[in-house]
Amino acid sequence: MTATLQYLFDALSLGSLYALGALGIALIFGVMRLVNFAHGDVMTFAIFILIAPTTEAVAPLWVGAWSTPLLVLTVLVAGAALSIVSEWLVFRHLRHATPATTMMASFALGFVLQNTLLVLHSSRPKAVNLWPTLSMPMNLWGARVPGLQMLMISITMLLLIGLAWMLKRSRVGLEMRVAAENFDMARMLGVKANRVILVAFGLSGTLAALIGLLMVSQTGLVDIRMGGPMMLVAFVATVIGGLGSLGGAVLGGFLIGAVSTALQAWLPLEARAFRDAFVYLAVIFLLLWRPDGLFVTSAVRQRV
Amino acid sequence: MNTFFQRHRLGTPLVLGLALLLITILSLTGSAGLQRTVTEMLIRMVMVVGLFIFVGHSGVMSFGHMAFVGIGAYGVAWTTMEPSMKLMMLPGLHKMLQQADLPWVVATVLGALLAAFVALLVGSVIMRLSGIAASIATFSLLAIFNVVYSNWDSVTGGASSIVGIPTSVESWQALAFAVVAIVLAHLHSISRYGLGLRSVREEPVAAQSCGINAWRQLLVAFVLSAFVCGLGGGLDAQFLGVVNPDAYYLSRTFTCLTMLVIGGSASLSGAVTGVVVLSALIELLVRFEAGVSIGAITIHLPTGSQEIVVGVVMVLMLIRRPAGLMRGRDWSWPTRSSPAKANLKAPLSN
Amino acid sequence: MLSPRLFRTAVVLTTFLTGAVASSVALAQAGKDLVIGFANAKSGWVEAYDTPARRAAMIRIDEINAAGGLMGRHLKVVETDTKSDRAQSAKAGLEALDQGAELLVVSCDYDFGSPAALQAQKKGKLSFFLCAEDIKAGIQGVGKNSFSSSVLAAVQGATMAEWAVAKRNVKLAYVLLDTTIEYDKGICTGFDWMADLQKGLTIVGRDTFKNGDASIAAQISRIKALPKEPDAIMLCSYIPGAASAVRQLRAAGINSLILNGSAVDGSYWLDSVPGLSNFVVPVQGSIYGDDPNPKVEEFNKTFAAKFGARPSSTYAYPGYVLIDVWAKAVERAKSTDADKVTEELEKMRNEPTIFGPRTFTKEIHHQNQARMLISEIKAGKPAIVDQWTITKAVPLDVLLKK
Repeated sequence: MTATLQYLFDALSLGSLYALGALGIALIFGVMRLVNFAHGDVMTFAIFILIAPTTEAVAPLWVGAWSTPLLVLTVLVAGAALSIVSEWLVFRHLRHATPATTMMASFALGFVLQNTLLVLHSSRPKAVNLWPTLSMPMNLWGARVPGLQMLMISITMLLLIGLAWMLKRSRVGLEMRVAAENFDMARMLGVKANRVILVAFGLSGTLAALIGLLMVSQTGLVDIRMGGPMMLVAFVATVIGGLGSLGGAVLGGFLIGAVSTALQAWLPLEARAFRDAFVYLAVIFLLLWRPDGLFVTSAVRQRV
Repeated sequence: MNTFFQRHRLGTPLVLGLALLLITILSLTGSAGLQRTVTEMLIRMVMVVGLFIFVGHSGVMSFGHMAFVGIGAYGVAWTTMEPSMKLMMLPGLHKMLQQADLPWVVATVLGALLAAFVALLVGSVIMRLSGIAASIATFSLLAIFNVVYSNWDSVTGGASSIVGIPTSVESWQALAFAVVAIVLAHLHSISRYGLGLRSVREEPVAAQSCGINAWRQLLVAFVLSAFVCGLGGGLDAQFLGVVNPDAYYLSRTFTCLTMLVIGGSASLSGAVTGVVVLSALIELLVRFEAGVSIGAITIHLPTGSQEIVVGVVMVLMLIRRPAGLMRGRDWSWPTRSSPAKANLKAPLSN
Repeated sequence: MLSPRLFRTAVVLTTFLTGAVASSVALAQAGKDLVIGFANAKSGWVEAYDTPARRAAMIRIDEINAAGGLMGRHLKVVETDTKSDRAQSAKAGLEALDQGAELLVVSCDYDFGSPAALQAQKKGKLSFFLCAEDIKAGIQGVGKNSFSSSVLAAVQGATMAEWAVAKRNVKLAYVLLDTTIEYDKGICTGFDWMADLQKGLTIVGRDTFKNGDASIAAQISRIKALPKEPDAIMLCSYIPGAASAVRQLRAAGINSLILNGSAVDGSYWLDSVPGLSNFVVPVQGSIYGDDPNPKVEEFNKTFAAKFGARPSSTYAYPGYVLIDVWAKAVERAKSTDADKVTEELEKMRNEPTIFGPRTFTKEIHHQNQARMLISEIKAGKPAIVDQWTITKAVPLDVLLKK
């Protein structure tokens, strides 16, 4: 029983990280039909402000030395700002381009961000000790759960509920849903397109920065390539959850986290190195079973 | 005026082939480094043209084709390395492969056939998907390839590089295969499979009602594109002499996809132009980063800026020309103006 | 439509012509200077790992030049950039060789150094990997004139096994392998081989993870589920994954002795796990000022004076050793001919260097047995506590099976 509970918490904690990433990607896709490959690099850029730019092996703390509320606020605002700037500079001009073009443009943007970080900081990972007390384990019904994981799971749940409420009840949310359904009609009905998109990007950037903070607290390091592996999984999670559906993205993230943890725990040693291959095999089978994702939004469903 | 030439639109592959020939000849006047750059470009051309065969006609963004490039590359490694080296480094190889020592052309083609075979197996399953689901499925394929090849130590050497592949490929060999790739892509393009796939891309429902089986068209394109990508992989292995699973993973995937989209993914000329323009740009920036002396002045870009400038230029190119540089049109053989000309120059898509 | 097309063609052709013209290749300088080529990463992600060793090599070159040069000839350095790209690495090697390099020093990382080393081998020149720890960075991979100046990964693992049993009375060990790169597998292979030879050492469990994994919760649960906490955990990994893993291990309350490979040496990452204790790393020399050989501290000070900061990890040292042993071999061979120098290098048995004795043989152009200093971190402070040479050299077939 304890082992199952432990596994459950392990799966939930990994899944919540992927789910948060998937939320950020689903938000932008829902509004703009854009898969933002730069999302991981926005996250990395936002948290690199914790340290001062230097190519030395040890970097002095910059924002990282500030008090916690100020630190969190600054990093979140940095993420939102970077995301909004990227919309203004790049994606605004690609509103009517094909998905392929916007995908590659977002990838190129991420490439620029990553290499800028490389020039400023060098590729060596830098140590940042953020909130070490969060990693202390709590004992929940016999299962050992680091406080940080509980925090991640709760934040994901709160955000999901909060965002769902915002989409359903608030004016901004209504505008976003309408823009997602039919962008041009929404504009004709008086929805300020640019504002809606800016809000979506801002929220997405904030989410990215949030994941970044949680990851730094978990691993204790910042590294220019830390966004990559997690964002790939988030991208996959968004698709299997159903593009355009926030709940689906979160579910997709938790699903991948669960499968990955299960395989890590139950595969024999010789096969464990191939764990990711099995995860992706499972993704393919899931897509064959449900090509449009687990939750199909009306925007995606074919009408013929 | 329905000559063989015009009917098969041979103008396009001819123009492209001649342009590449010209570039190769010009490169011979430069340093050994320049010749290597051009060879790299030609090998990359094979991969991007292979990518075009599938992505261009189906409109499905495939992230998985580097898996086929890698399968081709490792296939060549298995059949051309010296048997004694294989015994030492890859003890788990089947006895037949271990003793194999094939001539390079045969090895390259066999590697590509292996890639095509894998594509046939995988494609028959995932080609039932469409749109972004298919893209994710192809990405899953790439991830699986990477994990398997990085951990199957006894057969692939694991995550570290296999060294010792005979380097038989230089400019002319690469050029020959680039031309072969272009011809194959062109033939597919004008065949009923290419046409059928393009119709599925434009109007899936109408195409279905005309009796076109989407799955079959996609599969044909997938297998052919895997074959050409496998050729590219074999060339790459025999050019560098070294293979490694990470060389055929995300970084090269995005480089090739970007070259394709910037050139214009809807036409063969787009693929070729994208590779040439971006390769030239990158090489120019690399040289400026190393320091170029023009007369008495040396221009020296700060280290690390080459990638940033390339990225910025890519974004700008995509903003200015969202449909690609070629906008879906093809280079064609210049002819005298005639009423028939309008039909011949009709764009293949968009 | 005609103009834009012609324009595009013109742009494309012009860029290539510019490239052809601008390819300024300096002619090979024959004569008095002895050229050493460095085909390393000056940009891109490999740069952070190549630069320290390259700088150390420069220090030795300066020392030799100050003492009158090698065989009376001044050592000239030619540097080309691999840009952390394999294809570019081959070109960088070619460029350096074209400028008359007698020795080609290639990247620290075997994957990025081998294309350049292959070019050198093709031209019959000697190549040296700055700090590659893969057996293939040598005869078995690149060719008969290729060497590496660092200590094989397997030796690091084997040293940890033997030392932990002899000095820390470790009986139960757990192996945690990061399957991302071959180096990690090399460490664990060496550990497993030596552990088999140790009476009284039992490996109670094994697990794998990937360097990029955000969380190793499942792996930690497996360790916690053992009936008794293992005395030691052999962590075969590198930064950043290793730091993240250690942080999570300690946070979960696992206080076993953690054994590592040399890759985690350095204090730059210790902020990730504040107050770390019970953590050992095998190194070639001490960057902390407490090396038993005073010449190492002299080197550290010279490094700091010349480059603004002390070396950040033990991986600077193989660069110095490289030039050191090569220069000695050249002097003994009285020539820079690759085969003659190779012969002299292969005769070296326990050749003294300030970072420990070095041996090269006809079969192995690496160190498969070496004196390693044992560095232990106590309360976040690293210090050398011991030194150890494995009693048996790691055999070739263990190295090749990796």
